[in-house]
Formats: sequence, structure tokens, C-alpha cells
Amino acid sequence: MIKLWVLIAGIALSSSSAADYPSTYDPPPHAAFVLTHAIVDVGEGQGEFEGWVSVADGKIVGIGMMDDARPDDVLEINAGGRWLTPGVIDVHSHLGDYPSPGYRAHSDGNEATSPVTAEVWAEHSVWPQDPQFPLALKGGVTTLQVLPGSANLFGGRSVVLKNIWSRTVQGMKFPGAPYGLKMACGENPKRVYGSRSQSPSTRMGNFAGYRKAWIDAQEYQRKWVRFEKALGEYELWRTSNDGETDYKEPPSPPKRNLQMETLVGVLKGEILVHNHCYRADEMAQIIDLSREFGYQVTAFHHAVEAYKIGDLLAANNVCAAMWADWWQFKLESFDGIKENVAMVQAAGACAIVHSDSARGIQRLNQEAAKAMAAGQRLGLSVDATVALTWITRNAARALGIADQTGTLAVGKMADMVLWSHPPMSVYARAETVFIDGVRRLDRAAELAPVTDFELGQREEVF
Amino acid sequence: MKRVLLVMGLLGVTSLSAEELLIKNVRLVETSFQSGKVSDLRIVDGIITQIGADLVASAGTAVFDGEARAVTPGFIDSGTTIGLAEVQGLGVSRDGEQVDDDMTAGFQVYLALNEDSSLIPIATNDGITRGLIVPGAGDSNYAGQSALVRFKQGPTFLNEETMAQHLYLREGDRRRAGGSRSSALAAALEALEESARYDKQRRAFNTNRNRSFDLDESDLVALSAVRRGEMPLVVQVDRAADIIKVVTAFRSYPDLRLILASAAEAWKVAPLLSAENIPVLINVMENLPQNFDRLGARLDQATLLADAGVTFAFLSGSPYSETRSLGQAAGVAVAQGLSWQQAIAAITSVPAAIWGLAGLGRIERGAIADLVIWDGDPLEVTSAPLAVLIDGEWVDLETRQSALANRYVELLNLK
Repeated sequence: MIKLWVLIAGIALSSSSAADYPSTYDPPPHAAFVLTHAIVDVGEGQGEFEGWVSVADGKIVGIGMMDDARPDDVLEINAGGRWLTPGVIDVHSHLGDYPSPGYRAHSDGNEATSPVTAEVWAEHSVWPQDPQFPLALKGGVTTLQVLPGSANLFGGRSVVLKNIWSRTVQGMKFPGAPYGLKMACGENPKRVYGSRSQSPSTRMGNFAGYRKAWIDAQEYQRKWVRFEKALGEYELWRTSNDGETDYKEPPSPPKRNLQMETLVGVLKGEILVHNHCYRADEMAQIIDLSREFGYQVTAFHHAVEAYKIGDLLAANNVCAAMWADWWQFKLESFDGIKENVAMVQAAGACAIVHSDSARGIQRLNQEAAKAMAAGQRLGLSVDATVALTWITRNAARALGIADQTGTLAVGKMADMVLWSHPPMSVYARAETVFIDGVRRLDRAAELAPVTDFELGQREEVF
Repeated sequence: MKRVLLVMGLLGVTSLSAEELLIKNVRLVETSFQSGKVSDLRIVDGIITQIGADLVASAGTAVFDGEARAVTPGFIDSGTTIGLAEVQGLGVSRDGEQVDDDMTAGFQVYLALNEDSSLIPIATNDGITRGLIVPGAGDSNYAGQSALVRFKQGPTFLNEETMAQHLYLREGDRRRAGGSRSSALAAALEALEESARYDKQRRAFNTNRNRSFDLDESDLVALSAVRRGEMPLVVQVDRAADIIKVVTAFRSYPDLRLILASAAEAWKVAPLLSAENIPVLINVMENLPQNFDRLGARLDQATLLADAGVTFAFLSGSPYSETRSLGQAAGVAVAQGLSWQQAIAAITSVPAAIWGLAGLGRIERGAIADLVIWDGDPLEVTSAPLAVLIDGEWVDLETRQSALANRYVELLNLK
């Protein structure tokens, strides 16, 4: 039986192809160090303390208050009372697939040729020399999810990246992070295809399109299950018939379908659903859709009306990724309010502040601060330490990497930001950023990545 | 809730005596929101008539206690589009630019403004009391004339029908003018020349003896005003090389008042702009090298301009819903090295001077009472106005958004 399980696992892997474009990210070695005299917020929403964090081999190996004993045999970096937080994580970005400069020749975010393009992978569009990556680093962003755009019902696979300079996208891929599937509600798919007199042209057309695709995915999944069962039976027969001369054909596998592989990945719980969805009523219907086909929506993105259904999100364990105050740029964003994030938090649901913007990604801390303040003015009990979780821990959770990053904890990746001011202040600048213990930004030392595009034609700004 | 109660309470009081108001204990900020004297302000008929300690209210005067909080002049946005579109993405709800016409200097946005737009009080809640509503590029280079508004819903929204002419000369703005930035600049200059010929022949034009002009009369009239310096010309231009060409080219018109906007690479030619006293309008947070004109875009541009002695003001841009807010932009500029005082000036006194808004942008005796009393540092993203006065009258800070928030807080029992 052991042999059989190994075989099935092998087939499952080859059918999802996750191993075909592996991460080659291997953080360079660094000297062990202990960062002391920092105002530390570990990102669990439990407040801050003056303390130290020690790091070795890319991992956090100790955390303590200033009175606690700390390693004295490693390099000490005195933070001088500055603020230390986990690295900022943006769950919704298009860096690299909509880079700067933003010419059509560079515009690789929307495969707007069919409403279902679950077969495309955002990583195949990412240009690692996009100068927007270092700008995001200057905003403290250590990890980001790059998604396909929202022209399609199923836009394709996302990729989670470490925000480091690399020659290849493989060199940026977050090792072991699950893939995401971008889905989109509402205006965009029906506009893009409706304008071509093609389905979907309405919201009901959108839903028919989702359901048809999931039905196809279920059928595809069944084909593979049947094949795996037949293969198992064949192997059992073959191994228990040593020496026999009877001949039996091994079953032949179904033809691989990349689109279906992604959808089946969702049905198996291996790929996380990130669903662009503005309106509360549509989110509620998407939750029903997920029940119909037995999958989990991980997060609604651009959830401008999440505040109307915080209870539903909490009950169904779905995160809402939101802007602090964007609204009005399209009809489905007209009910956006500044209190949105804080109200989702108050309802007990998982709240995230995201950017979807190469400008916004440079100041997610300010966006979280705005949302926090709006909640406080409404009388909700949200404070700076809770607001920090919206751009760190909760974001890591939605990307399926919370066991590795998103908070400062022993054993986790040393992804950390040292801020000049309290992180919920407009005056806060990320002064030093560590990714896996390696200093990737250090303004005082004039250390920052420079992309090939910038080299020789754009001044470095620290 | 405190903020809402304060304002509602005051609305009740001021209705008894609209003419006189006494604001006690507000901090006239200087180099930070905590520095500056705590003073009283007397406002009569919308004008600050007295500033001092322990001012005494005359009978029937409404009194507001500012509890030593920061007061600033209302912020002045040097370029946004509120009132021109209810929903930016809905083309049919948008009135901010002309399409299918490559010369629209005569276009005036004020005729399209919606004084009841639900967006107006949202800007007021960001501390903005006045702003220029600017035409977009559309298909033209000369896009038309901006208007000045007060951020208060209703018939007083429109403040000045026409403020400036707007010319777009960035990468991508040149398609209708021959496909090259050379022809775009040449066409812009030729239009001014034609307006000069038109002025000389106006009598003949009006008596129908000479109509051999390429441009419509409304365009010619508008460009004449620009040429004669009766209306400033705001040129949207980014690349340093282009900025130099624009400044050089428009020198031939000695009365023309040139202002640059967008101006991503203005810092590279700061000495020129400083020497010629050309003001620059910038969107602080636009630091992406989105095209080859903007390779030099950087977040600390305001600091560089300040160091070089260039006059600059901030604008929020378009759409307002994605570029807000002016206070945040000023705060970001401070984080990038600009002094707090200069940042405040770039959204109050400096734009007032650039646009010739007498009585606005400063708190002083005789000034118009456009005031914002803040619950914290006016440049902090966590701060908001406790109360806003425009022309000495309280503005209702309730918005459609606050109504939505209150409905769902109650429905979901979130408190």
C-alpha cells in the first residue's frame, strides 16, 4: 500500500505542475545579529514593547524585552528607539505584470481574450526589472502577491513574491507559497465581454460562466480520479502477479488541461481563491457558489462593501482585502466608506488593507492608519496594533504563508521593517528593511536595489 | 460622534446669529501643529475681524471653543475634478473634457459643474475648502478653462467661472497635433499667434468682413486672454527638456503668466524656474517613472524645489477618489524632508498667491474665514476636521458615506 500512495502522490503533483517552475530564491548568508532598543510590535495585535529581536540564518531566533537576557556574542544593531514591525505584505499587486514604464508593450496583466483563462499564470508576465519593486520596498513591503487582472471571470494563477531584486521571477518566488486563483465579480468581466457581444454581458451571465467552469472542473477531476483508481488497480494487479504471463494494458492518463488543473487545484484545497468583488450582495452570492462546488473563498479583494456583510464573512471564514478610502471611480465602488476596514474588524472577520496600486503599495501603513482613524471616530475599538495586523498577519494568512512570515515569532522568516516614526504616522519611513535576515534597504547606508531599467538613467533616492 | 455633535450644535446656534461668530482657543499653527499661539478669532460677515486673547462675545454671538486645537486656513486644491463626474468610470456621467476636437480653449468646465454632487462634502472632510476644477486633456492640447469652487454643496459651490487655461504637452498628449511634441508645441504657439491676429482684426471679424481663422471665436477669445496675461496658462509637462522648451517658447509673450503642472522633472531645471519665477503644481505622490517623460519622478520633489527657491503648490489630481488627500500629500512631503510649515503653505497661502485669491490661504485680520479646526496634526493621515468654516459659515460634515456607516453599524450591532 505504501508504494501505491507514493505513486498517487506523484501523479497528483505532476497534474498540478507546481514543481515545474520552482522558486530558486535562496537568501544569501548574513551575519547573525540582535536588534536592540526597538519598539517592537510583533504583529499579533497585542501592543508594543521595548525590546530586542535576534536573527540567525534568515530566521528569528529570539525575541525579548530589554530586561530579558539576549545573545551577546553576535552583532548588535541599536535601533535607538525606532519602531520594528513585521514586513508589510500586499495581497493585491500587479507589480511586474503592469510595470513602469506602463506602455502597452509592458501591459501583461489581463489575458482579456476569453472569460475563463484559469490556465494563465501571472508569474509568466512578471518583469523583475520593474522599478516599482524597489519603490514598494521603500514602503516596507517584503512580500507581495501579484495577480492577473480582473477582465475575466477566472483571470489565472497568482504568484507570491519576495520583494528582492533578481534576474528572474523564479528568483523572487516565495518558496512553498500556495498559488492563488484570481476570480472577478461584477462590472469588469461583463463590460469586457459584453462590449464584444459575448457572454458574460450581465451579472447573471457572470454566474452562469462561473458555474459552467466549475462543472467542467468537477468532470475533469472525476476523470483523473477514475484514472488514478484504474492505475492503482493495475499496479496492484501487476505487483501481485509476479511471474505471471497474463498481459494487461496500463490505463492511459487523461490529456492535461491547464485551465482545469488550476480549477481542480482549488477544489482540492491546494490553490487559494482570491475573488475581486466590490458589492456585498455579489459576495454573498459568491459564497453560495463556493458552497455549491465545495471550495473555500480565501479572500474577497476590493471588498468596498464588506462592511455591509462583516457577519457573513466572519461566519464563512473569508477575509476581506480593502482600500482605506478609494471609492467612486466606478459604479460598484460608489458605496465605499472610510470606516470599511474597521467595521469588518469589529464584526470579527479577517480584515486586510491592500493596494492594487504601484503608488498605494508605497504607503500601506498610511492606508491602514486612515482606516483605523475612521473606525475610531465611529466609536469602534481599533488601535494601531490592530491596524498593523491588516497589512502583516492577516495578509500572510490570506496568502497561506502565516506559518512562515507575517508576524515576528521565533522560527519565522526574519522579514522586518524598522520605521523612523510610529508606523501609523504619515511621517513614518521604512528606514531599514530585512528580508530573511538580509538588509535589502538601509537608507542611512544608501543601500537599496536598483533595477536594470533604472541603471544609468534614473537617480537613486534614499 | 463628538465631532458630529459639535457641528450639529453649532449649526443650531449660528442660525440665530449668522453675522457674528467667536472662535475661542484655537492654535494658530506655525512650525508644527503643536506650535503657535492659542488665540480667539472674531468673525463678522464671513471675515476675520479680530485675532487676540480673551476676546469677549457680544450679545447674541455664537461661541465655539476650540480647546487649543490646531486651526488652519481651509486647504486649496490646485487641481481636481469634483463636480465634473459622479462616477469617474462612467463616461456618461463625466463632463470634464471634450472629445473629437483638438482645440478647445473656449471650453469652460463651470457650465458642467454639479453643485449638489455627493463628492463635495467628502473633500470638505479632508479639510479642503476651495479648489480649481480642471478640464482633462480629452483630444485637445488646449483643453479649456478651469473654475474655482467652494467645497460646500449648493448654490455657492461655484466661486469663479474661469481661472486658468490648461495646455497639455506631456507624452501622449500630442496625437491630435501631428503626432510629435514638436508639432504640439508649434500648434500651441501658432494658436496664440492666431489670437493676436484675431485681436487686430476683431472689428472686421465682428462685421463679418474677415473670417479666415482656423479656430473658433471662443478659442480665439480665450487665447487672447492668455496672451495678454488676463488668465494664467497652466502647462502640463513632465520632461526636463520639454520644460525648458516651454519656458523658452512662451518668453515671446511678455504678459503671459506661465504655471507648470505635473512637472515630474521640474527639479532638474529648478534654477531656471526659480529665476523666471514660474510656479509649479505637483502631485506629491506621483513618483512612478510611468513613461520616458517621467524617468526623473521622485517622492522628494517638493523638497528639491523648496531648496532651489521654486514656488510650488500641491494638487490632488484626478480622480479625487484615488488621489486623496491633499493633507496626506503634504504629510508625505514632510516625511521626505520638506518643512511642516512649507508643506502647509503649499496647500494654503502659496496656492492662494498663485491664483490671486485675496483673503484666502492665511489667517489674519481681514481674511476670509475659510477655517478648519482639526482633531490632531492637520497633515496626519489619522486626523480629520472637527469643524469647517467656509466664508464664515459652518459646513455640515455629514456625508452619504457617514450615513452608510451609521446604517450598517446599527444593523450589524458593531458598537
